[in-house]
Amino acid sequence: MTKEKIIEVISQNIIENLDDLENETIDPMKSMKDYGANSLDMIEVVSCSMRELNIKVPRAELADIETIDQLADKFLAFAEA
Amino acid sequence: MAKNMELHVDEFNIAHLKMNDVENKNIFSNDFIRGFLAAMDDLEAKYKPHAMILSGLDSVFCAGAEKDTLIDLSNGVIDVKDLLMSERLVNAEYPIIAAMEGHAMGGGLVLALCSDIVIAARESRYGAVFMNMGFTPGMGTTTLLQGLMGDFVANEMMYTGKRFKGSELLNKGTNINYILPKKDVMPKALDIALQISEKNVKSVYLLKYTLSSKKKKLLIDARLQEDMMHKLSFAYPETKDIINSFYAD
Repeated sequence: MTKEKIIEVISQNIIENLDDLENETIDPMKSMKDYGANSLDMIEVVSCSMRELNIKVPRAELADIETIDQLADKFLAFAEA
Repeated sequence: MAKNMELHVDEFNIAHLKMNDVENKNIFSNDFIRGFLAAMDDLEAKYKPHAMILSGLDSVFCAGAEKDTLIDLSNGVIDVKDLLMSERLVNAEYPIIAAMEGHAMGGGLVLALCSDIVIAARESRYGAVFMNMGFTPGMGTTTLLQGLMGDFVANEMMYTGKRFKGSELLNKGTNINYILPKKDVMPKALDIALQISEKNVKSVYLLKYTLSSKKKKLLIDARLQEDMMHKLSFAYPETKDIINSFYAD
């Protein structure tokens, strides 16, 4: 699994879970909040992405993450573990 | 009046009850439940409102049970205080409009199920999240959710625990009266309440008595089944761990 693939999956889930982003390109250096996500939107994006990538990251591990890029790094670490 | 609830009755005889526990984001703490029941006692002692608009915070309508209560349940300490809220709403003599600007989860969503007219926000999320924590749905969810969502959407909500976005529910075609941009939720609730306020209050109460009988029965049915399922599912040894990991930050 590559980091690019992970970012692609997360970005797709952001577009699907948030309103009015159909034509937007997601910048991984940004936070989901920058795209209008509330806390439950973020939980939904994370759990949809984990299901799609077949990885499980405990919630406590996700607390300090700020950007989409950091989330992808965390997913990658768990995918390789 | 407890500071976690705001109650007033306006010049059109419409009661406004706002669940306003900013600090704890409208979870069912003991204080919250006490405040809620006291507010309804207070309302009914002093007024005969045409209707009540039940609202919450901008971000959270109501978040449902708190972790400590669930852990108590998993330890066999039975506490059914939250059911008092469902019963209180279903037994109200006046129609209740749930104006859900913010999210509603678990028991928080049940408050809407126990209302008569429901307005949700496109931006917020609504979920019957019980199974995410390892135990079966409660507070009347298993018999009341179908009325609002339809049988099959209700099944999906209960089995998956998914928190559906209002805009998603809009596409599914549920029985929610309106799913609107958040800013339009309260004005719509008020508009409906004003229409009710033009009717003879005595006839409004008669109609409510008739229409609510089905829900009263459903809630009694739910209670028998759900209590039994809770005795079993809260006693599973893994449930406590699932609750703890669910609430981990």
